[in-house]
Amino acid sequence: MSATPLLRIEKLRVSFGKDDSVVAVSDVSLEIGAGETLGLVGESGSGKSLSCRSVIRMTPPGGQMSASEINFDGKDVLSFNKRQLREHRAHNVGMIFQDPFSCLDPTKRVGEQISETLRVNAGLTSARAREQALKLLADVDIDQPERRYLGFPHEMSGGMRQRVMIAIAVASKPKLLVADEPTTALDVTTQAQILGLLQRLREETGMSVLLVSHDFGVIAQVCDRVAVMYGGYVVEVGAVADVCARPQHPYTRALLSSIPSLESAGNRVRRVGIPGQPPNLGEIIAGCPFVRRCSFVQESCSTMDVTLETVGPGHQSACPVMANRFVAVGPSKLPAPSSSADEASEETP
Amino acid sequence: MTSAPVKVNQRKRPRLKVDNWELTIGLTIVGAICLAAVLAPLIAPYNPNQVNILQALQGPSLSHWFGTDFVGRDLLSRTLYGLRVDIFVVALITYAGLCVGVVVGTVAGYFGGWFDAIVGRVSDTVISFPFIVLVLAVVAIVGPGLKGVAIGIVIVGWALYARLARSEMLTMREQPFMLATKALGYSNARAIFRHALPNLIRSSLVYSTVDVVVNMLVLAGLSYLGLGQQAPGADLGSIIAGGQSYLLNAWWISTIPGVVLVLFGLGVSMIGDGVTKGELSMVSL
Repeated sequence: MSATPLLRIEKLRVSFGKDDSVVAVSDVSLEIGAGETLGLVGESGSGKSLSCRSVIRMTPPGGQMSASEINFDGKDVLSFNKRQLREHRAHNVGMIFQDPFSCLDPTKRVGEQISETLRVNAGLTSARAREQALKLLADVDIDQPERRYLGFPHEMSGGMRQRVMIAIAVASKPKLLVADEPTTALDVTTQAQILGLLQRLREETGMSVLLVSHDFGVIAQVCDRVAVMYGGYVVEVGAVADVCARPQHPYTRALLSSIPSLESAGNRVRRVGIPGQPPNLGEIIAGCPFVRRCSFVQESCSTMDVTLETVGPGHQSACPVMANRFVAVGPSKLPAPSSSADEASEETP
Repeated sequence: MTSAPVKVNQRKRPRLKVDNWELTIGLTIVGAICLAAVLAPLIAPYNPNQVNILQALQGPSLSHWFGTDFVGRDLLSRTLYGLRVDIFVVALITYAGLCVGVVVGTVAGYFGGWFDAIVGRVSDTVISFPFIVLVLAVVAIVGPGLKGVAIGIVIVGWALYARLARSEMLTMREQPFMLATKALGYSNARAIFRHALPNLIRSSLVYSTVDVVVNMLVLAGLSYLGLGQQAPGADLGSIIAGGQSYLLNAWWISTIPGVVLVLFGLGVSMIGDGVTKGELSMVSL
């Protein structure tokens, strides 16, 4: 982590409904250094997508966003006017969405969609844009770019469309790439290829990546640091290796222990899920959002403020009860990327 | 478009398949009628307004295929020139209405808010009036003649397209690719006209084939009532109206132009059916 982060979000809050009764994101603070990959992990409705969309101030209709600071590369995103905001979206941040099947305009050839970005956002002439678009298609490992340039989105597989989306997102050389569950809709082999591609592009361009996922395996494979979200709060932040080996929040711990691993395959060990349901964001839960499902719950949990406390170098957790009580769980191993069917089906918006 | 040095393996553009008979027959009929109308000055055997009282009320014959009217004007020539007027005016007013309606509807649907509310209320009001009555009211203000009819039909006709385009835009707006245009920092104009419009124009185009027939009949109807094309100019409605008093002893004056009108309407609606069918068969691929 460098001294001045590329992106700093302070006390982000996103709420919906009349008098903002449904709080989807509460007091989220995040930092991403230049060239760093931050993972954002959590279950459905934990506020991951909303948090990452706040980077370009894109709130869904009806949503109210506020923050005490959103600073991108020394500039205050919150103070941007419409023009500056468009510039910011066009040049600074590239965005990849979850569903590659509907993110491309079905009536336009994919090559034209890439060169459109180059013409409009990077100001290239159409001939140069076309050349550059072909290069980008080759860059994201698409075979026969000349042929695919003229193809329509419906003629491509999910993985290929996601590659095209990535090509569009990185076309104007953004400093930050926000990937909102880029592999959720893809099968495991394609997922590995896409993650590999993202890593390669990051190394080549030196851009930062904010990767959102509900799959700890994906995060562990790609990210430097991880922020765990639950019920609209960030409950734990730290280096990936650190968080995986020494989770300091009961939720992180439960999340990690629910991932099947190869070693336990023959043992007929029952996977322990997390009992109960994620909190209903409409009701206000006093204290820790995880209080109803936590197996280490104490009296003080429902009166506490959710604040991140430092529990190790670069490692913060929002659980004062458990802080530094957890030691390494077994051999310190990173979970393998997994993509089981029930995880995928859970993600229907 | 570009002169890039890259060699591109050109692929066939997806074509609408012309293997359904509705489309074939419809295109043939409408094509033939339009061609005849366009070429009227070349193929019309007589001057459409040339009076020849000695030849009045002649039945269809080799020298006058469609017969002559009560002052001996050749009806084939009059029908051809009449079609010219009708087709030109109908195409103009239908697609002027489509353009206005689609633009207003997509913009309203995209932004929502007060503009959408106004557009919604106004188009609902226009649609809830009987079509002909409203056109008649406009003609009464502007004055009889093709200009009044054209203005009237456009004023009434845009509303349905606006509603159609607006409702499609409401679903289109939530599509991820429209969100993506936002995330890429594209302007609203680019998002609406480059990305949303091509995706929602098709339903309006299909509906316009119905609208062409309706407008053709409205135009002929108003000319029949004496509010459209003014004498001595010819259009199908005024020719039919002129033959009304002679229906018993000279049936051809009203009947043959009427049949041409029916044929044209049939042809256009067949094209509409054919296009819809083609769309469906392309979807099921």
